[in-house]
Amino acid sequence: MTTSAPLMGATVPRREDERFLTGRGAFVADLTGPGTWHAVFVRSSYAAARIRAVETAAARRLPGVLAVLTGEDLAGRLGPLGSLHKPQPAFVEAFSFHSAEIDLPCLAIERVHYVGEPLAVVVAESRAIAEDAAELVDIAYERDEPVADARTALSATAPRVHPELPDNVAASLQAGFGDVDAARRRAAHVVRNTFRIGRHSGIPLECRGVLSRWDQARQRVEVWTSTQVPHFVRTAITTATGWPTHQVRVRTPDVGGGFGPKANVYAEEVVVAYLARLLNREVAWIEDRAEHFQATAQGRDQELEAELAVDSDGRILSWSVDYVVDVGAGSLWVAGIIANTALHLLGAYRIPHYRVSGRAVYTNKTIVAQYRGAGRPEACFALERSLDAAADAAGLPPEEIRRRNILRAEDLPHEVPLPYRDGVPITYDGADFGRCLDACLKLLPAETVTDLAADYPDLLLGHGISTYVEATGRGPYESGRARLLPGGTFEIAAGSASAGQSHETTFAQVAAQTLGVPFDAVRVRNGDTDAVAYGIGSFASRSAVVGGSAVYTACRRLRERGRELAAELLDVRPDDVDAVDGGFSSSDGRDIGWERLATELAPGGGLADHQPLDQTSTFSPPTVTWTMGAHAAVVGIDPGTGIVRVLRYAVAHEGGDEINPAVVEGQVRGGVAQGIGGTLLEEFAYSAEGQPQTTTFAEYLLPGTFEVPPTAVAHLHGPADLNPLGVKGVGESGTIAVYSTVAAAVEDAASSAAGRITTTPIRPSTVLALLTETEGEAS
Amino acid sequence: MNDVRIDIEVNGIRYERTVDARTSLADFLREQIGLTGTHLGCEHGVCGACTVLVDGRSVRSCLSLAAQAGGTTVRTVEGLGDGDGLSPLQQAMSRHHGLQCGFCTPGFVVAATELLENSAELDDHDVREALSGNVCRCTGYHGIVAAVLEVARERQPATGKAAE
Repeated sequence: MTTSAPLMGATVPRREDERFLTGRGAFVADLTGPGTWHAVFVRSSYAAARIRAVETAAARRLPGVLAVLTGEDLAGRLGPLGSLHKPQPAFVEAFSFHSAEIDLPCLAIERVHYVGEPLAVVVAESRAIAEDAAELVDIAYERDEPVADARTALSATAPRVHPELPDNVAASLQAGFGDVDAARRRAAHVVRNTFRIGRHSGIPLECRGVLSRWDQARQRVEVWTSTQVPHFVRTAITTATGWPTHQVRVRTPDVGGGFGPKANVYAEEVVVAYLARLLNREVAWIEDRAEHFQATAQGRDQELEAELAVDSDGRILSWSVDYVVDVGAGSLWVAGIIANTALHLLGAYRIPHYRVSGRAVYTNKTIVAQYRGAGRPEACFALERSLDAAADAAGLPPEEIRRRNILRAEDLPHEVPLPYRDGVPITYDGADFGRCLDACLKLLPAETVTDLAADYPDLLLGHGISTYVEATGRGPYESGRARLLPGGTFEIAAGSASAGQSHETTFAQVAAQTLGVPFDAVRVRNGDTDAVAYGIGSFASRSAVVGGSAVYTACRRLRERGRELAAELLDVRPDDVDAVDGGFSSSDGRDIGWERLATELAPGGGLADHQPLDQTSTFSPPTVTWTMGAHAAVVGIDPGTGIVRVLRYAVAHEGGDEINPAVVEGQVRGGVAQGIGGTLLEEFAYSAEGQPQTTTFAEYLLPGTFEVPPTAVAHLHGPADLNPLGVKGVGESGTIAVYSTVAAAVEDAASSAAGRITTTPIRPSTVLALLTETEGEAS
Repeated sequence: MNDVRIDIEVNGIRYERTVDARTSLADFLREQIGLTGTHLGCEHGVCGACTVLVDGRSVRSCLSLAAQAGGTTVRTVEGLGDGDGLSPLQQAMSRHHGLQCGFCTPGFVVAATELLENSAELDDHDVREALSGNVCRCTGYHGIVAAVLEVARERQPATGKAAE
């Protein structure tokens, strides 16, 4: 048997593509059929109100309606959703972390907290009839005073979003090291600014959706849901209903993008599962886009007050930040989001003195979850914008102040005297962050502006750079499973379900190489709580690192067990058998292939009394593994309109080994596109009364083909010793630094002083004001 | 409810059906013909995932009524392959990593097919212009544009037919 070419590191074509390109994908809405009953949720019209009465008689009378249930109907039968993340005690202690407890019922009972909160559900024979019936549900509200702004919500006199709580603080933390006040007194330049990142989110092109049915034969509920976290959904259902775990199976069909909002669990998932059992019918709820704008968790919405002190050479002396995260009516991920900002504010630099405090605040706006970056773009924006301002003050070019402060080979690994969320002291396990900065500037040097000037004579051009760090591959664990099928092929499963991240290809690459079999011998089964009993999910740049490593360890064990069985079959000691490509070989020259093993394990075979070859393994990383990267952009401003176009983009990042370079590049480029959206276009707007003002794609703008430029990507190899694959996460690398990079380039294009752009999205009106200001200064 | 009788050809097959007058073309294709490759991403005509060809022209099937499509010839993503295999465009989309989650993909394949069938030479701007009515949240459009340009380059320009 010959040694095959390595699959890991190869750009293997994606397994997923053929069915998507021919319209044969199976997304949750595609699973509905003539026997499916359709659920439609009745949602709050007000941001803050008490529910006086919900009148459902007219809706019930509509022909084709099967059931109408309100929050009152479900009270005592369905409990609330639990929080999805609790930091470890060492983090809680070091950061004096506190969080409030709220228990929003799946369907609102006495009170609504945001426009779009579900308060009743209609089930009918068609979606159209269910929508008609939902219109007939009459709700009597007694309106309360809403609060739609986080700063206002913090004032002592503000109305409370959750009246049972003493105030609107959802979570708080504070920490630091060194002596910021003493360091600042030695500073040559101190820059202070208030930064704001607007509320926006992933907007997966497929909205959410759930389909569920009661399997009477097996006495359990089956659920298909468009999620990144099937095991969390199962937990949410069992917690809310009290059903035992074995009575709930959750699967993911093809999932049309996630980006964080689908790494949340939702009341709709619980209610639809409950209805399927209650009604003994197949019930589906397919979210439409209008609902998505109100009902799916949003992200970002953070304000940071930052102070950076540098000496006369531009070296950082101290860095202190106080920030406020608006989590709307609540977030099951509040601990993760608020912690991420505090943990990523130090960036890729030597910072000797640091002080941070943050609060997450309730407002009467849509709930919040993680969105690609989840607190990191906000941290990056504050630090990188402050560095640009400090560079200006110190008379240094932007790249020079970064070069003087960035962690280089001799500084790495770099220990930060604070614990990560998992309680483990932070260590940046990188190679040379300065190298990424240099590589990025090589991909897209500042001189590009001059080169492009002739192509864009009507635009003002500018260049910007930034760097970021990201903790990836967090635990606590992920499950992987490998099993030998009759005929000698393999099925792989993992707890981290795909929402478009190419797992059917990349996990198969890992498995085939680890097993020593051809790629075609391996198939990957997507998210299914029956395939692996325990799992976490795909988010936080963790699937390749933790899920991939779990697949690897499961395959290693399967191969080892196969070797033992081959030895038994050949009647030799296991030590006399080697694992080779395609199977096993004994020292006396006899070969056993996997197909033969499968045959011998089948009834009538020589190994028929043995357990099937089926290994499940969990991988628990010791802690997170850090990536770092640098971004550069060239933008053009139309001086007449103030509209900004990103013309060129580059990312150089330090990762581990790549499983599939095309998938890595795709993650980076896609991340950049979403970052550009958040920087220039996307924002969920609310009125002072908490009414959503962006409810269609005419108001909430997405980047299209002309808004996303060609993006050059350089992958630089760094150490990744915390997992057996030697990989690092990449899902968020493209997004985190876009905000600060584009802001810097806009200022450069406007010939403005650095650090003037403090808010995203950067509106054309802001750019025009900046241009007017610059002209004023020039004349 | 008003029922409307329609006679429509979809991917080479003729259907005579009675539809509720309010049924959109997208719902008709998905629910009555079983062609679920036509996706609904916004239902207000912005995202482009529901794009189909009606008598050769791209149409937002979420904004069209099935009743309006009576008497027309419709092609959906399921009908754009090359026999049993992938078309040159579909192959190029895969080769250039022009898709990730795959939800927007049918709309892009349909819109790009229309472009390639109706134009001789194409540059980057032409492709971006023609696809500016389709939204992809995963890829940043990089591989999609590259794939369409490659197909345009490799086919015989005079006929607009893909080179073997």
